[in-house]
Amino acid sequence: MTAEAAIPARRGMAWRAEDFARRFRLWITAGPGLAWIVLFLIIPSAILLAIGFFSIGDYGNPRLPLTLEPLREVAGYSILGWSPGNITTILRSLLQAVSATVLTILLAYPVVFFIISRPPALRPLLLLFVILPSWTNQVVRTYAWMELLGPRSGLSHLAQALGFIPAHLGLLPGVFAMQVGLTYNYLPYMVVPLYAAAEKLDWTLVEAGRDLYASGQKLFWHTVFPQTMSGLLSGIILVAIPAFGDYVVPTLLGGGRSMMIGSLIASQFTETPNWPYGAALTIFMLVFTCAGLAVFRVLSRRFGGTGAMM
Amino acid sequence: MNARMPASVRRLLLGFSLPVYLLLYAPLVLIAVFSFAPPPHGSAPGFSWYAELLRTPPILAAFRRSLTLAICSSILGTLLGTLMGFGLSRFRPASGRGPGAALPSLIIYTPIIMPSLVFGISELIFFNLIHQSTGLLAAGLLTMGIAHVTFQAPYVALVVFARMAGLDPNLFEASHDLYANGLQSFWHLTIPVIRPALLGGFLLAFTLSIDDFTISYFTSGPGSTTLPIYIYSAVARKGISPDINALATLMIATVIGVALLHYAFTRRSERRLIARVGD
Repeated sequence: MTAEAAIPARRGMAWRAEDFARRFRLWITAGPGLAWIVLFLIIPSAILLAIGFFSIGDYGNPRLPLTLEPLREVAGYSILGWSPGNITTILRSLLQAVSATVLTILLAYPVVFFIISRPPALRPLLLLFVILPSWTNQVVRTYAWMELLGPRSGLSHLAQALGFIPAHLGLLPGVFAMQVGLTYNYLPYMVVPLYAAAEKLDWTLVEAGRDLYASGQKLFWHTVFPQTMSGLLSGIILVAIPAFGDYVVPTLLGGGRSMMIGSLIASQFTETPNWPYGAALTIFMLVFTCAGLAVFRVLSRRFGGTGAMM
Repeated sequence: MNARMPASVRRLLLGFSLPVYLLLYAPLVLIAVFSFAPPPHGSAPGFSWYAELLRTPPILAAFRRSLTLAICSSILGTLLGTLMGFGLSRFRPASGRGPGAALPSLIIYTPIIMPSLVFGISELIFFNLIHQSTGLLAAGLLTMGIAHVTFQAPYVALVVFARMAGLDPNLFEASHDLYANGLQSFWHLTIPVIRPALLGGFLLAFTLSIDDFTISYFTSGPGSTTLPIYIYSAVARKGISPDINALATLMIATVIGVALLHYAFTRRSERRLIARVGD
């Protein structure tokens, strides 16, 4: 073996054979799964995106020639002229996603630091209790809020008594119920990455700050908050993107008058089919998703996030 | 730890967090309470709505379908995902910096980051086109299963990959030195050491399948109503109703029960492992 290793050419060949064997093993182990994802998700979504550039057939089906008409329709132009309906829907979705994200941040920080302030043995259990509700089906969770915000519930009675809503009406459907549903659904997605960041917190920095007589607020903003930045960014991505495109919450809690882009897209494929238009809306949604991810990558590099990826 | 936060801050955190925990469970507890409501012509609250569930054949059929779908898709999803996680952690060229090296990760992350609505609609169109041109893959449990495997496999791959990353690479060197071939080493070394990840991955795949609504909804057909789809259409049709309360309560109780069991189980095996290492 040693004699062989001394000959560079032979060693190179052996290395190449080993490299080949490695690649072969990679493809027989990881290959089937990767091929499955390409065949059943990447190709289908490419088809969906392509449909966004087709003309609209008689039954809402895509047909040639290729056109930008569906994309113009997303911007609000139709045979009836321009209407603000779509822009309103998109803006409402954005607003809902942003405010749900802000609310989850405001709720997650105290919870995460509450968990951190407890003994280490208790922490996994306390975290589990935050995550548990999100393991139940989303329809079930949203349904539970229909019950809680319905006209007969205590919350609605309270709102009626305070004069926020007319008597006999519930707190749903509408923008408020949608906001509650989104915040509730996505809170764990904010808590988990924040907790992961907060658990690794370097407390010596905080102690150093305290030694320098920093006030509580200053301590938080200058020593604690920057260290949770990577978790916060992951949380924002995990909440904002799915909240923007959510389908269940707007349909069950939002009602017909406060549509979001998710229900608008879905209706182009179910009730009154218009595939090219629906596909064009999807393109818009994916552009938003990718823009969000790109911003996340830039920010997490700047703030030294690990971006723990495979 | 306690010294790091003043007692006043700790009290404040507790005060803020308790309402959040309350908020997380209030809706779930409320439907559980309402599920024991008395029947329309009865008097006493009790299990009457649960009995009603057992007398409703569509619910029983939907339950069986949900279970079949979750078990079958989880088996295939765990298989594909384990092989992916194992293969990528063991055989990916270490020197790979080119676009080819990042491609597998990119593919694996696609199902995870893609909004589930876009996921579901892509599948709807794809299966629709295939069915129109070949007559195969009519929307039903099979198409739902294919879609479920597509999102389960990447999560299982991540779990297995994380487990593999935590292992000592010398283990594999050692098995190689003992003349184990690739298959023997996989069967006698890899499978036993990643067993917790396998079990965890399978449970995760199972939960993902049971939890999913959006993707299932768009890939389902006329005869493949699963429990979440049944609830969704019942709610869309008639709003809140006591029998749906009972059904939802059962689903919540099952998920929470399984999760707590899994937690207890992993904690126990972790403690046993620590004890063994301590010896």
